[in-house]
Amino acid sequence: MGLRDYYRQFEAMPPEEISAELRARRDERRRTAVSKVDPLDLSGTTWHEPPHPDAVNAATFALRRAVNEPPDLAATALREALAAHHGVAVAQVAVGHGAGELLRALLGRVVAGGGEALVAWPGWQPLPALVEGAGGVAVPVAPAAPALLARAGERTRAVIVTSPSDPTGERLSRRALRDLRSRLPEQALLIVDEALGEFAPGGDDAAGLVADLPGLVVLRSFSKAHAMAGLRVGAALGPAELVGRLGPSGGVGAPGQAAAAWALTPDGLALARRRRAAAAAAHRQLAAALAGSPLAAPPAGVPFAWLSSDAEDGPALAARLAAAQVFVAPGRLWGDERHVRAALRGPEAVDRLAGALRG
Amino acid sequence: MPRNDPTDTGGLFIGRRPGTAPVRFRTPPERGDDRRRRTDGVLAGLVLVIEALLVLSVWGPQPVGWLWIGSQLDYRTGSVTLGIACAFFGLIATLILTLMVATRLDGLWQLLRRAAGHDQREGMLGRIFVVTAVVAAAGFTAWFLLLEGPGSSLAPR
Repeated sequence: MGLRDYYRQFEAMPPEEISAELRARRDERRRTAVSKVDPLDLSGTTWHEPPHPDAVNAATFALRRAVNEPPDLAATALREALAAHHGVAVAQVAVGHGAGELLRALLGRVVAGGGEALVAWPGWQPLPALVEGAGGVAVPVAPAAPALLARAGERTRAVIVTSPSDPTGERLSRRALRDLRSRLPEQALLIVDEALGEFAPGGDDAAGLVADLPGLVVLRSFSKAHAMAGLRVGAALGPAELVGRLGPSGGVGAPGQAAAAWALTPDGLALARRRRAAAAAAHRQLAAALAGSPLAAPPAGVPFAWLSSDAEDGPALAARLAAAQVFVAPGRLWGDERHVRAALRGPEAVDRLAGALRG
Repeated sequence: MPRNDPTDTGGLFIGRRPGTAPVRFRTPPERGDDRRRRTDGVLAGLVLVIEALLVLSVWGPQPVGWLWIGSQLDYRTGSVTLGIACAFFGLIATLILTLMVATRLDGLWQLLRRAAGHDQREGMLGRIFVVTAVVAAAGFTAWFLLLEGPGSSLAPR
């Protein structure tokens, strides 16, 4: 080694060169690292995005006022907004801690003492337990008007339909519901769980029938399309003498009332329409991705898909998805061994679901 | 890029303090034997002395030299402006040249120190400037007050 080379080897690297080397080393480490796959939970049905900031603002505004005082026990403003939106009298609207709690209270009045409730099945998964908890007898029946009418009898106190259905996404039109109501025994109350009603086509929801049909109760929720599951707000629309007794004695919390009231403003309703369109687009995206494969999901407007495969059963499908860190609700929750229910949580999640499904 | 100055981070050090990183070489250097390292140490000392003398010249010999050149120019051409301009720009030019040479000497000194086995992370140029300025100021004060004597207004004869 020459004299010049000997001393030049003691030259320090300049900071820029050191940084470049460290960056290159980091990039190489990332490139060669084992990629970490985050789990994707598609087992729920709630909307995957947070509530609109204005809804949160409304709730926060209410929260920062006098929360040491009880809220408006009658939820007047919210009930008036609901009544105006659905075209019913204010007295026909009850507000409670979610559609599920209102349904529990309703069943306690309708099927207590061994009353029979026909449950269109598959439907909202807790329905049979709610009927049993209220002291009634749950009878699962195929979710079609002829089957329900064929099974309805003198002992039937309620017929419960989920529309749009969780998990299948199928729905009964207003015409079908009107027909069903007219042919059911008079003592049998028709209860429509319309928690996913915002995902039904505009002008064809069951809530619009309440003003005309006395034996109909419709349950609505702010947990799904409005993404306010944490606030626990729902509504029951039906005969005044019945729904007037369903609300919680202490009322619904002021933040929940305020956020729900915002959801019924033109901006809130427009948001729900955009989410309905997004859910329909997600279905189209999934259908396109699964075209040509043995996998299929019936087209629907709800933010989840009822998936089945000609090549494997539901548990195998769920296990295969779980191996790819994609978790879905198995159909056996509804006694179905062919299907799984997968939430459609935005385009990226649908892509990943489709990729996992196709293997 | 994260800030690592404790005055920016509420007293917490995030990462290494500036200027305290160890020296990184492109390849691990092959060090000489003990004799060569002792020689490098001596050479480093020699370079440091030259560097100090060079910087010291900025505070005395160079200005004096350019003042003399300027005065000569003034005497020969009869132009005071030309003499002042020559002294001023000449002084600036040699100052820049001195800094360039001193910087290279400082780099050489660091190499020699590392070759001598020291973990030399910084140069000495900044410190040399401060020390030589103090030395020059002290020397000028001593010359002015003790050798040359104050002017007539301070101590009239």
